[in-house]
Amino acid sequence: MSRPRSVRQSMAWLHTWSGLVVGWVLFAIFVTGTASYYRPEISHWMRPELSAAKPDPAAAATRAGAFLQRTMPDAAGWSIKLPNAENPAVEVYWWRSFSGPFHHALLDPASGERAAVRDTQGGDFLYRFHYELSLPPLLGRWIVSACAMILLIALISGIVTHRRIFADFFTFRRDRSAQRGWLDAHNVMGVLALPFHLMIVYTGLVTLSAMLMPWAVQTAYRGDILRYYADAGIMIAGRPPAGRPGAALPLGEIVSRAMAAAGESPELVMITHPGDAVATVTAYFEEPPGLAHLHPQIAYDATTGVELGRVGEAGAATRTGAVMVGLHEAHFAAAPLRLVFFLCGLMGAATVATGLVLWTVARAPKNAAPEGLGLRLVRILNLGTIAGLPAGLAAYFLANRLLPVALDARAEWEVGAFFGIWVLAAAASALYPRPKAWSVALTVPALAFLAIPISDALTVGELRFLGFDLAMAVLGLLLLLAARLAGRRAAMRQPSRANLHRAAEA
Amino acid sequence: MTVSALVLSLLLSFSGMSALALSLDRHHRAVFRTPVSRRRLSGLRAAGWSGLGLSCAAAIASAGWSFGPVQWIGSLTGSALAVVALIAYRPIALRAAALAALPLATLMLPFALMR
Repeated sequence: MSRPRSVRQSMAWLHTWSGLVVGWVLFAIFVTGTASYYRPEISHWMRPELSAAKPDPAAAATRAGAFLQRTMPDAAGWSIKLPNAENPAVEVYWWRSFSGPFHHALLDPASGERAAVRDTQGGDFLYRFHYELSLPPLLGRWIVSACAMILLIALISGIVTHRRIFADFFTFRRDRSAQRGWLDAHNVMGVLALPFHLMIVYTGLVTLSAMLMPWAVQTAYRGDILRYYADAGIMIAGRPPAGRPGAALPLGEIVSRAMAAAGESPELVMITHPGDAVATVTAYFEEPPGLAHLHPQIAYDATTGVELGRVGEAGAATRTGAVMVGLHEAHFAAAPLRLVFFLCGLMGAATVATGLVLWTVARAPKNAAPEGLGLRLVRILNLGTIAGLPAGLAAYFLANRLLPVALDARAEWEVGAFFGIWVLAAAASALYPRPKAWSVALTVPALAFLAIPISDALTVGELRFLGFDLAMAVLGLLLLLAARLAGRRAAMRQPSRANLHRAAEA
Repeated sequence: MTVSALVLSLLLSFSGMSALALSLDRHHRAVFRTPVSRRRLSGLRAAGWSGLGLSCAAAIASAGWSFGPVQWIGSLTGSALAVVALIAYRPIALRAAALAALPLATLMLPFALMR
């Protein structure tokens, strides 16, 4: 690499190499994060046993409380996610200490027993993967944060490098050289969705800011994080346990009071020190309409049912942070706007993918010369990530339908299918000869996605999953189209290489 | 209602983005086979920016000050992507599509503003 001369050239250098180093991880983060816009829908599809009946939240809370009382009466805390129209199951967590482990079960709201539902992580797996990469949580979050930071650098250096943002705003020249086409595609995907890209990477860092920059809170509160939450208006101040047992009201009674006080059913109730004389029940409500991601809360005494306090108006800093997290998650967006966020997320993944491919195309040997080791490595990693990850994703959904319902450790098998098929697809495409590799590597996930609606129709076959199945079919067709385009490019390149051969021989 | 509000801002920004694209010589040649004249250039630019402005106004009027801007920026991305695709694959259709979007937007207006 020659020494960079102008600012623009050094920025171009920075953009190229910062993008390459984290590109593969970023692609996986963008794809799984974009899928997380439909996390409830994915979870719903993956647990077809749960029916959409409208359950009674108060009765469900009482039954869940009885279940937790049997399971761990001396827990430090219980949390109960109450059933609603989108998710009819009752999701409970219980823990002995805040450092974990957190136990988890899905309950049937009608019986209060463990729901007869296939074991799966549903959309939560993809959601957690996009910021933890299935690594130990802290390690994964640090890696993702580092990648996000580097993406921010790549975005800003990319803007500086791009000479003609406005003149080339609408330019996509597909009739010129391959390199020109990939550069245009990279620019169009990056520039048109630039507000989204900047927003998503910055707000993503904000969601992890307490981990990245904990010093202010550590210094001011000396490790008493709960007091900070209370002061910032994020949580209601807790009470120390009395150490003697108390007789709690049925949880349904408190849920009914919360419903009367707020005019809507709480989304979640959390019980701290259950069984103690000063146990507290906190009811969390759905965010009110607005960009901010802030849940109103009311706390009750578990034994008397007296209201202890509410989360009031949050401070300016808390609200600003909450708006950023809200923008990142887009919980506020109704179906049409959520689709726009989803498309922008796909454009983010496409920006990364086209950038990675462009790196290899720009360095491809001019004639039939063999490619160097570095180029070969990048090309194989590109194939394995850009075509391999979709194959793994399709395998994750297919495994949910095709594995036996009563299989032991079924949820782990599904995750195993995701990684196993991903690695297998990556390895297979590495072995495939160069000209045809892309079209074959993209055809595999295309067919796998097209198989999802078929397997769903054969095993479950319910009309309410039609939308999800159609979406999978559309993804499959888009991948098939991409495979055909890649095949055509390879076919176009082929004769010219043959000519060069002949010219070289002559 | 949320669908019609989003469609309205998409249609308006699509017309605006098309006019802005046609004000660039390269795309004007691709669609009309002639270079863009000076008078036409300022006309197209004015039409383009007013399309984007109207789209912004429509988004805020129908979705409010907090969601409106988010929806508007989303519609800018979506409509610009459609313009790029049309120029690359069906350049001749761009003018007709941009003009057809305007009456459709007028049709959408009452639905979008109904709350």
